[in-house]
Amino acid sequence: MTDPIRDEWYPVAMVSQLHREDRDTLLLGEAIHVTLRDGQPMVTASSRVLPSQARYGHVWTSLGAPARPLFDIPEADQPGRRLVDVGLVRVKCSPLRAVENFLDIAHFPFVHTDILGAEPHTEVGRYDVAIRDEVDEVWATKVQFYQPQAAKSAAGGITTEYMYRVPAPTVSVLYKTCPPRPDEWDVITLFVQPLTETLCEVWPWMALFDDTTSLTDLIHFQQTIFLQDRSILENQQPSLLPLDPGLEIPTRADLTSVAYRRWLKRRGYSYGAQLVAA
Amino acid sequence: MAVEHFIIAGDLAADSFLPWITRHMQRLGLRGVPVRRADGQVEITLSGPPDLIDAMELGVSLGPIDVWVEAIGRRRLENGEVS
Repeated sequence: MTDPIRDEWYPVAMVSQLHREDRDTLLLGEAIHVTLRDGQPMVTASSRVLPSQARYGHVWTSLGAPARPLFDIPEADQPGRRLVDVGLVRVKCSPLRAVENFLDIAHFPFVHTDILGAEPHTEVGRYDVAIRDEVDEVWATKVQFYQPQAAKSAAGGITTEYMYRVPAPTVSVLYKTCPPRPDEWDVITLFVQPLTETLCEVWPWMALFDDTTSLTDLIHFQQTIFLQDRSILENQQPSLLPLDPGLEIPTRADLTSVAYRRWLKRRGYSYGAQLVAA
Repeated sequence: MAVEHFIIAGDLAADSFLPWITRHMQRLGLRGVPVRRADGQVEITLSGPPDLIDAMELGVSLGPIDVWVEAIGRRRLENGEVS
């Protein structure tokens, strides 16, 4: 019998940080220790050695026995991309709320004003959302939005095209227009470590075509975005993500969020979720 | 004002579902009465502003935790048409 929560893979450290020091942290409320041994990650809970692997700049582990391999991001192995570990942002919110916020385009003009959005360009056009049964992932495609500065490499405003993908309950992958290479997508991910049901650490990671922007500027750009989100996330009510809409009235702009919640419900993933409407 | 007929399919056996639909309709200011059919599906004829009928579809697609809505079929009813 699989456990839909404990059997998932979760990010718990940045590999590059472990070269300097070990990391003691929490996963689903349990204390874990993360270290490198002979260059390979090792994660323990009490004296138990947990499954672990290093991928996408981070260490992934599970408190259970994952039935599936870690999701694939093929762009991570594509020559010419810069792989950027953005660092860590701790947020006092449900890990599922952090993912849901990442999927929400409608807040861009109001929270990331003059960067990812600007008034009066506030309308979210129609786009496609599906739970793809063949891969058991949520995908939103054909998302278009005007952005004053879509990326550090963008010169001025452009209409940016997006695709969103949720390959695991606490992971979201964003594919967006790549200003220097129109045939490719920039990849920006949100890896969320659930410390508890109402506290998480967010590890953004990127795979970009950008040969000119300094690493410091790339990291600073993304951290600015996530810090703007943090104050919103920490004040959301209810703090857990409702799987029953209850008092909320989802609208067309919330299509991706609704698909994400349906997908969580179908998988029986309830850590950080509110099951019954308040 | 629009009138639409919804047929909801899925794992809908929980007794909570019909009262839940009625509450959600009332929140949206829509009118209609959900009915459970012999085959287990649920149908409603709804009336109200089109955007709110769209919102009803989204809300119902999530539903209460003990229900799984697999699909919602929608059909717009013209003047005087009966579902």
